[in-house]
Amino acid sequence: MTTRHPPAIDDESLVAALRLAAGRDPVPAHVLAEARAAFALRVPGASTAAPVATAVPAGVRSSEEARLLRFTVGALVVELEIVPVDGLVDLAGQVSPLPEAGTTVEVRTPHLTESREVSATGQFAVTGLPPGWFSVVCRRPGHGPVVTSWTRIRP
Amino acid sequence: MFFAVSEAPVSDQQTIDAALAGDQAAWDALVTHHSGRLWSVARAHGLSAADAADVVQGTWLRLVESLHTIRDPERIGSWLLTTVRREACLLSRRTRGERLVADPAAEQADHNPTRADLAVHPDPALIVLTADEGRRLWRTVETMHEPCRSLLLLMATAPDAGVHQLAVRLGMPSGSYGPTRGRCLNRLRTMLTAQEAQP
Repeated sequence: MTTRHPPAIDDESLVAALRLAAGRDPVPAHVLAEARAAFALRVPGASTAAPVATAVPAGVRSSEEARLLRFTVGALVVELEIVPVDGLVDLAGQVSPLPEAGTTVEVRTPHLTESREVSATGQFAVTGLPPGWFSVVCRRPGHGPVVTSWTRIRP
Repeated sequence: MFFAVSEAPVSDQQTIDAALAGDQAAWDALVTHHSGRLWSVARAHGLSAADAADVVQGTWLRLVESLHTIRDPERIGSWLLTTVRREACLLSRRTRGERLVADPAAEQADHNPTRADLAVHPDPALIVLTADEGRRLWRTVETMHEPCRSLLLLMATAPDAGVHQLAVRLGMPSGSYGPTRGRCLNRLRTMLTAQEAQP
């Protein structure tokens, strides 16, 4: 009994169409440059670890609190604890199950990449990252690379 | 139809395949083709230029990691628009001071529209706007009564003006701007729908 109609266009989309057609708010050059540069961040052959919800203690809301993010693909779990420090971000990670020797990670923002060896207990850390988009590449001997889905850390 | 639900496959399969094979020029072609719409959608959610830039950048980063799972040139436009809308909604809610974000991972969990999402819920944000359609849209606005005509014109051509500035320029109290804008958009939507109904 349901007849499918095209959904009514919502306010934001109508406003977007008006503005696009008015041509008075062109895409800034740096936005185009960043979009083109994003391509250099692809990791050929990588599988993407998707975010999964993590339990957060009730009442934890402040942006000054540590945040825990968890990403999984297959059996691999990458957990990231994010701690804002003076407008920058410290990141402590845990790879599980325990990785083989020689496992490395690259913590990436659009503008910088920090490489780390993962410890025998599966841990790694990077300090002083700028807030914004980031992703972690995990490289294990004998496996294809895994990237965590790009996530925004807000200041 | 004015706002097509499926996009013309301007990004053809060759372009996608070339990008998947690592061809930067092919990627640049995708960027050139889709950026205007992504930017307009982000800005239409009331984001500042800096926040809109952040949202658009994240959308492209997500495409980099997802392109091999999409592949279909007809789906890329809708995937990009759905992604930019979700990110823009999240950020605009946050900048409006609703900081009830208990868990970043939870809100991220569904950030990649799946094939099923797009098939079952065609996204109304698919703005396929040729130059002709853009002119038709504005011709329709021109036929509207005041204050709608001036309000929509001002809103679209003063992208960084805040509610107060817009209200002053329209000679109305700030508190009236939002509701009036809502009524004008409804009216415009009705007019466009009526046009679509006629051959």
